[in-house]
Amino acid sequence: MHRRTVNAALAGSLLAALSAVSLAGPASAEDKMAGKEKCYGVALKGQNDCAAGPGTTCAGTSKVDYQGNAWKAVPKGTCSAMKTPKGMGSLGAIKS
Amino acid sequence: MRAVQSAFGAALLDPRRAPPLSLTRTGGRPSERRFAVYRNNVAVGLIGALETRFPAIRMIVGEECFTGLARAYALAHPPTSPIMATFGDGFADFLRDAPGLEELDYLPDVARLEAARTRAYHAADAAPVAASDFAALDLRRLEATAVALHPSVEIVRSSAPVVTIWAMNAGEAALGPIEDWAAEDAMVCRPEMVVETRRLPPGGADFLDALGRGATLGAAMRLARRDARFDLAQNLTGLIGSGLAVRLGRPTDRSAA
Repeated sequence: MHRRTVNAALAGSLLAALSAVSLAGPASAEDKMAGKEKCYGVALKGQNDCAAGPGTTCAGTSKVDYQGNAWKAVPKGTCSAMKTPKGMGSLGAIKS
Repeated sequence: MRAVQSAFGAALLDPRRAPPLSLTRTGGRPSERRFAVYRNNVAVGLIGALETRFPAIRMIVGEECFTGLARAYALAHPPTSPIMATFGDGFADFLRDAPGLEELDYLPDVARLEAARTRAYHAADAAPVAASDFAALDLRRLEATAVALHPSVEIVRSSAPVVTIWAMNAGEAALGPIEDWAAEDAMVCRPEMVVETRRLPPGGADFLDALGRGATLGAAMRLARRDARFDLAQNLTGLIGSGLAVRLGRPTDRSAA
């Protein structure tokens, strides 16, 4: 693609983007979210802890985790609630 | 001294090993029980660090399974830095290879997303470029303009609906069957104080990835257009509206330009 064509495409898209952003910008927070959902998806925040972990403190003194290493992964969480291409019984093959 | 330390460290992580012989009470033998208390605290601490960093993985596999995975990971990959925020950077690869999880093939991608969120939380601050700065760009030189991204921006590509799965298990969306099991690329960013996770449109990952490596807008656009569904205006709207750009100017990476 020629440089000039690329520039034209970029210029047109930039102007469209700027008008979309300015429409979303000063409006209410809800409108702003709606504008963003169309481009980079609605912002999902999730928990925002420091996520550093308690690893260096004595936070664990009351817990006991003193098991050996013999252990096998047997998922029992929400994975069974999410339908995968392999069907609902996504854990069916795992025999414990 | 070094030998004592490494023996102590090895015994600390592996319950099958005896406490180091040099660890004695005055005039006594090594105290197995006292060492076990310390060993327990280390294990619980490391498992706790992974629980804090990977809450969605924990939801998906359940508490019991997660604790087992976390313990095995801590034993195989003990922290190499005193900064606990970086502990677990290799957890995704570990999950990929963990026996018993073969059917949950999306798990490593969810772990990569969660790890990226921690890194974004701790990434450097940078003031986003305003929309008016984009408006002031010379339209004739757009093709050769580079866009530096916020230090927190990370992209996680996935062949699974990674954002949907993460959102369901991070309390952001209702849990239920995922009818449309389609590939999703995620972007993690922290333009201000809060870490955000976004679902990228087709080609968006290539576009942002190229810009992040210093490519010009023209080069990034060419790359992203390999996906015919790529919408340039949509992606520029996301780039500007989400405050991901922190500097506009000359390309920094000639090879990518």
